[in-house]
Amino acid sequence: MEEIIERKPFEVQVGPQHPALKEPGNFQFTVDGEIVTKASVRLGYAHRGIEKAAEERNWIQNIYLVERICGICSHIHAMTYCLAVEHLANIQAPPRAQAIRVLVSELERIHSHLLWIGVTAHEAGFDTLFMYSWRDRETIMDILENLTGNRVNYSANLLGGVKIDVDGEQKTGILKGIEILEERTKHYLNIVTTDVFFLQRTRGVGKMTQRQAEVMGAVGPTARASGVARDVRIESPYGAYDEFRPNLIIEQAGDLEARFIVRVKELFESYRLVREVLDRLPEGELSVRMPRRIKPAEFAIRVEAPRGELFYFVKSNGTDKPERVKVRTPTICNMTTVVKLVVGHQLADVPMILAGIDPCFSCNDRMVIVRDNRKIETIESRR
Amino acid sequence: MDAENTFETVHLLLEDWAERFETPDPTRLDVYMTQIDDLLPAVVGLRVKRLGYLAAIVGLDPGIDMNDLEILYTFCTEQLMIILRFRIPKINGSVPSLCDIIPSAESFERELREMYGVNIVGLRNPGHLYLPDDWKEGVYPLRKGVDLRTAFQNN
Repeated sequence: MEEIIERKPFEVQVGPQHPALKEPGNFQFTVDGEIVTKASVRLGYAHRGIEKAAEERNWIQNIYLVERICGICSHIHAMTYCLAVEHLANIQAPPRAQAIRVLVSELERIHSHLLWIGVTAHEAGFDTLFMYSWRDRETIMDILENLTGNRVNYSANLLGGVKIDVDGEQKTGILKGIEILEERTKHYLNIVTTDVFFLQRTRGVGKMTQRQAEVMGAVGPTARASGVARDVRIESPYGAYDEFRPNLIIEQAGDLEARFIVRVKELFESYRLVREVLDRLPEGELSVRMPRRIKPAEFAIRVEAPRGELFYFVKSNGTDKPERVKVRTPTICNMTTVVKLVVGHQLADVPMILAGIDPCFSCNDRMVIVRDNRKIETIESRR
Repeated sequence: MDAENTFETVHLLLEDWAERFETPDPTRLDVYMTQIDDLLPAVVGLRVKRLGYLAAIVGLDPGIDMNDLEILYTFCTEQLMIILRFRIPKINGSVPSLCDIIPSAESFERELREMYGVNIVGLRNPGHLYLPDDWKEGVYPLRKGVDLRTAFQNN
């Protein structure tokens, strides 16, 4: 006699330890066989109390705090914060400083995109591409170290300008490195668009239409790979981006392959911008004086971080400390797309779809407690 | 649509619900709304006119002595920012969820709920997004004057 077995939903927990990436996040997937039927996400495992801590620190100390929101895009956080605070104080960094900020921003974008190519290739089981792209990433990290003294938290920004300059020797080193990377990037573009095995993991996977991307609030390369023509550097230029303008890179397919193509092509734009900045670096001072206290005001700013639109809201209250620093990172916007897009896909595709948005849990989780012998402390109490 | 036309469209759209309009800088329009019940029709109006996407929901606590919280719904067009500003009471303050209109609002609303203690009516997943599951009820870390050490001293 044939036995009738009731099919019950089966829940698979992924994370919080290293869910595809070396960062913590927890995903719950309900599966029917190998197919995901429902997904939800739980964040907060890297929450560090940064927005709250910013209210207890002075304007200068906060540069170093926000720079540590993310290890990969540390410069964009510091620069955005500085742009907001400078606006509140009614001062403007000198043209040379603004150009150097763009230079470091684009070097950082190159670093971030090369890192992402490697991570996502690794998720696809293509470890050769992972190792090559991470080897090449060393080139850009060496450039950043030579320019700023740091490989991760570059610390290039001051309130009122930058603390680094570019001399002739550094310029030569940057141009040489960019030349090498440009050749390598041509190779990567060829691989991600022609390798038949790799394309089996990317073409048609995690497909998101333009309409879906807009409804779900996708930002950055993830949105541009679905045909959303939005790049803050172009539509609302900040700093020196009205002088050094990138071209919009956009794809229509909306799948993982398109996300690879957009990021790889954006590398070429970044190489071009780096050369342009070095070619037309304005002469002059690196910084202007900044008041210690800032009169009550507020300013909202958005910029194009490597992963997409980054939003800061900063409010001053007449003291040497901010009243409020609100940070909305691109990952929280793109995370919505992951939990929607994985539905209907094989469970094995989930790591690729997650990695496809280039998530940064560290950016995303900014505020937390630290447990120590059952005591809960804020980052403040540990100072 | 340039800034002047966009701001004029927003004026016409929201003038019945707004207490006042301010332009803190040439690319930003702040709309001070009086009733939180006007949030949904205002957002529907912005969506219908394609006046931007929801970039962030910002919570503000004006101070320990103040009875209200301020919530800023920030919409961005290509070059402009439109901020709908509401005040709601700190005690039992509620706002309607935008999720039916803007699905991506969910994570912003969950953050607002757990950090400021704002009740979001209609939020599908009211669970913690960032804070631990065993976080103490009634402790909202981004409110002014909150003492986390005291709040958790018995844990």
